[in-house]
Amino acid sequence: MSRWSTGPTSAEAGVLTRTRRPRPADPDDRGILSQADWRRPAVRRGMTVVQFVLLIALLVIGLAPLLWLAKAAITPTQDTLREPLAFFPHGADWANLATAWTRVEISRYFGNTVVIAAGSWFMQLLVATTGGYALSVLRPRYGAVINALVMATLFVPAVVLLVPLYLTILDPPLLGRSLLNSFWAVWLPAGASAFNLVLVKRFFDNLPREVFEAARVDGAGPFRLFWSIVLPMSRPILGVVSVFAVIAAWKDFLWPMLVLPDPTRQPLSVRLPALADYIELDVFLAALAISTLIPVLIFLVFQRMFLRGAGMGGAVKG
Amino acid sequence: MTSTRTAALAAIPLALALTLTACSSGDGDDAAASDGPVELTVSIDEGLEADALAAIDDRIAQFEDENPDITVTTQEYTWTGTTFAAQLAGGTLPDVFVVPFTDGRGLIERGQIADVSGLVDELPWADGLNQNVAEAGQDADGDQWAVPIAAYGQGLHYNRTLFTQAGLDPDSPPTTWDEVREDARAIADATGQAGYAQMTQSNTGGWILTTLVYALGGRVEDVGGDGADDTVTATVDTDQMKDALTYLHDLRWEDDSMGANFLYDWSSINQDFAAGKIGMYVSGGGNYGNLFTQNAMNPDDYGVTVIPLEGDDAGVLGGGTLAAVSATASAAEQAAAVRWIDFYYMQKLTDQDAAVLDAKTTAESGQPVGAPQLPIFDQATYDEQQGWISEYVNVPLDQMTPYTDAIFDQPLLAEPGVATQEVYAALDPVVQTVLTQENADIDQLVADAQTSVESILARQ
Amino acid sequence: MTTLTRAEHRAPTDETPPPPRRRRSPVTWVRRGGLSTLVFLLPLVIVFGFFSWFPIGRSVVMSLQQTNLVTAPTFVGLENFRHVLDDPLLWTAIRNTAWFAVLALLFGYPIPLIAAVAMSEVKRMKGLFSALAYLPVVIPPVVAVLLWKVFYDASPTGVFNTILGWVGLGPFPWLQDAGWAMPSLVLEATWAAAGGTVIIYLAALTGVPTELYDAVEVDGAGLWRKIWHITLPQLRGILLITLILQVIGTAQVFLEPFLFTDGGPANSTLTVLLLIYRYAFGNSLGGDYGAATALSLMLAAFLAVMSAVYLRLTRSWSAS
Repeated sequence: MSRWSTGPTSAEAGVLTRTRRPRPADPDDRGILSQADWRRPAVRRGMTVVQFVLLIALLVIGLAPLLWLAKAAITPTQDTLREPLAFFPHGADWANLATAWTRVEISRYFGNTVVIAAGSWFMQLLVATTGGYALSVLRPRYGAVINALVMATLFVPAVVLLVPLYLTILDPPLLGRSLLNSFWAVWLPAGASAFNLVLVKRFFDNLPREVFEAARVDGAGPFRLFWSIVLPMSRPILGVVSVFAVIAAWKDFLWPMLVLPDPTRQPLSVRLPALADYIELDVFLAALAISTLIPVLIFLVFQRMFLRGAGMGGAVKG
Repeated sequence: MTSTRTAALAAIPLALALTLTACSSGDGDDAAASDGPVELTVSIDEGLEADALAAIDDRIAQFEDENPDITVTTQEYTWTGTTFAAQLAGGTLPDVFVVPFTDGRGLIERGQIADVSGLVDELPWADGLNQNVAEAGQDADGDQWAVPIAAYGQGLHYNRTLFTQAGLDPDSPPTTWDEVREDARAIADATGQAGYAQMTQSNTGGWILTTLVYALGGRVEDVGGDGADDTVTATVDTDQMKDALTYLHDLRWEDDSMGANFLYDWSSINQDFAAGKIGMYVSGGGNYGNLFTQNAMNPDDYGVTVIPLEGDDAGVLGGGTLAAVSATASAAEQAAAVRWIDFYYMQKLTDQDAAVLDAKTTAESGQPVGAPQLPIFDQATYDEQQGWISEYVNVPLDQMTPYTDAIFDQPLLAEPGVATQEVYAALDPVVQTVLTQENADIDQLVADAQTSVESILARQ
Repeated sequence: MTTLTRAEHRAPTDETPPPPRRRRSPVTWVRRGGLSTLVFLLPLVIVFGFFSWFPIGRSVVMSLQQTNLVTAPTFVGLENFRHVLDDPLLWTAIRNTAWFAVLALLFGYPIPLIAAVAMSEVKRMKGLFSALAYLPVVIPPVVAVLLWKVFYDASPTGVFNTILGWVGLGPFPWLQDAGWAMPSLVLEATWAAAGGTVIIYLAALTGVPTELYDAVEVDGAGLWRKIWHITLPQLRGILLITLILQVIGTAQVFLEPFLFTDGGPANSTLTVLLLIYRYAFGNSLGGDYGAATALSLMLAAFLAVMSAVYLRLTRSWSAS
């Protein structure tokens, strides 16, 4: 889960509460306007105009800023400052991109981002699947207590944890050494996501018990049952948790900024604001463009999955 | 940063040659050599240009050569009021790091830095420090916990190219605040850039506002003013404070000569000044080095002069930088740290061979040598040191003469002594209000600021 | 999918009853899989214990202490709460945060709804419309803020000022004016988040039973009546939820004021979370962690009330 982000987040809860049963595919395929409405010329014309305006608006809002960034990334600083909307008045400067990638070391911060996202993803899956399995399938007596304790944290906003969690990272009990500047400081707290646990546990709850019983009769122990039966059956929910986990880690800012003060360990989101003061505007915009390109490409490739996930409750907004 | 190790390896032949010529200067083969291998982490500025990093790597190679048991690694670090506490609490500071004078006393009183006074006292230059400067790094008993490595007096930095474009003579910068205003207006009218800009964020707003108040003869804190005790009273609500704010208000709203950005901190104003978007601004007089190494400023554009002082008791706000050793450093690391401070920051000020070696290495990497500073020791030592390195000076010294000719005659005033950063933080919004609200009620603002500074001081 | 509450109610019932209670020896406990269960629970217990339960408990203790990590903490009762409540900046921060929330609702609430309703009627290239709307959401929030900071350049040659200059408007001060700064922040935040809300509404719109439209059309209802009497009431639940979630989200706004303006100009964008950050990390000589946690807990109490309201709404909604 992503902490301390803006906007209508807590997508978590959005997912949890989506109760609409999906409408069976409608052969009639109508929306607010009926087929009959569509046959009326006035409606047709009106809707064409509406859709045209909508398309233009979406292009301006969604695409134009990115196109400007792409242009500015290869435009010399003075041109961007004097005539921000002119189209290469003094030619393009492709070297900006190379400078950003190598000298400004976007490559390194990009690598840190990947490592942080991968570790957070693994940690979240580990905790959610093992914990969900124990609570949903193995069901120890004390499970109800643990479950209640986990559920309770769902209603404690992340902001309460900011300072005490930071101090815990500074001086973790029993460990004896500070986790500051260690990726573990990001990975481990990411695992403590009640939201993931609820998603996974509820999915496990709905798996057919007969399969487990059959496996047990065949002599499968709890580890075998987990690895060979439960996990393979859970691919859909693991996919959802994975998407949320990776995107949240990619976007997080405040927490990695606090626990990774060493610039060589910082992800892009933390390093970029600091770089703004030290590198020239054109190279900085090139760095921003590179940092944008990668998630946009991932989005275009996995578009369907993103939009479905978002529709499920806006969770992707994290 | 390119890999420190590779760069250091590449630099070894040069370093060897240099140390051979310089070995007569080494301060003997003393104890630290027998302490066994020590790994030392030292701070370097954030966001340095590649050449600047190369110069530092060369210096590290020289140091490791003199001290074979010490391995030095660098860590990017820039002191900012809002990130330092987290680093301090988290124990992530390098073994050697720098803090402004204003933080020295607090850190020492709370034991948050290592007491290296025993080690510092053994160094040859220890008792030669200028007493005013040395105090910033001393505890109540006069023990030197932290080493002053640089001192500055505020200066008025200006862009010579913008001066020329506005039809002004870059060799005769303004000498009164009225002239600053006229020139700012001329620059804004002629070039469309900000004639005069001012820092307002992350405590720097209070820092520069205090500078203006000092220059008009005011103060913001009064220590033991009336009686013999050392109680501190807030003196924010003064005529000088109101004059300073009214002055800014006029530049901003009557002349419209302050550009369009009123949210600057130290690094972002440097960035915009280096990019040619600012005609004049107030900052530490030794700022040229940062402008060049972090913001790639064109040397031809650069000029600096002293702050105009007007009124009784006017003075130039001065401060400086302390090198301190992390409280978590072991005894061996502390010894190594003090050797590094001596080698990297101090020997070049006191020892001819070291000064020449430093200047030569730095200059060969194309990095600035000879930017003006205030003396850490006495004026004579400073002048002597400037003489040693004169052949390597590569900064446009003649463009700095308006500053260097006059700064030593200006009365130097220390920053507010109690809760400095908190007082600065309380003044930030005052400056921001004046610059962003045309109908700002200056009397009311100042009265409110007086109250909040009083409550800050009461909590001390 | 079902609701959280339903899942909770149902989960324990549809399973074989637990083995009958009787005293077991450790050996039988292990043989029955007690140990391996514990192994499976270990990651959860460790991670939640260290990074959730322990810090939550610690925050309550710290709010009653004076602590800066340097000197030993001392208990000061409710002093931290009093100090925070006495801070004039607290009321500034609350006002600003509320203002942010109001603006975020004004900008970010109706527009995605209108867009979603219009998009739901699109027949061709629906995917393109959705993708375009969602594109800003994909951009990392920090990158978006830094990019908009360039757009908001207040000089006449800034990006927005240039565009508005074409139609004779501006130049506007954007972030450089106490009155303009907050709306500018909200505009960016809305741009960054609206696409996600659009997609949520689009999904909800597909859940509106079409028979309802058929039914009112028999009565001769026009487009506006259909939207007003069918579409909006059908979306009531999701609209309420996004409303509450938006309030909860905006109460914790940090990124935009921190990166755009650092709370300026003149504290006009200082938000509650930014104030917490300043208490804890703003002073170079050691944070006031007691005040920071005290304010965190007060904010949490507010959010808990909002969550309770939210839960009530979702429960009644899912029951209906």
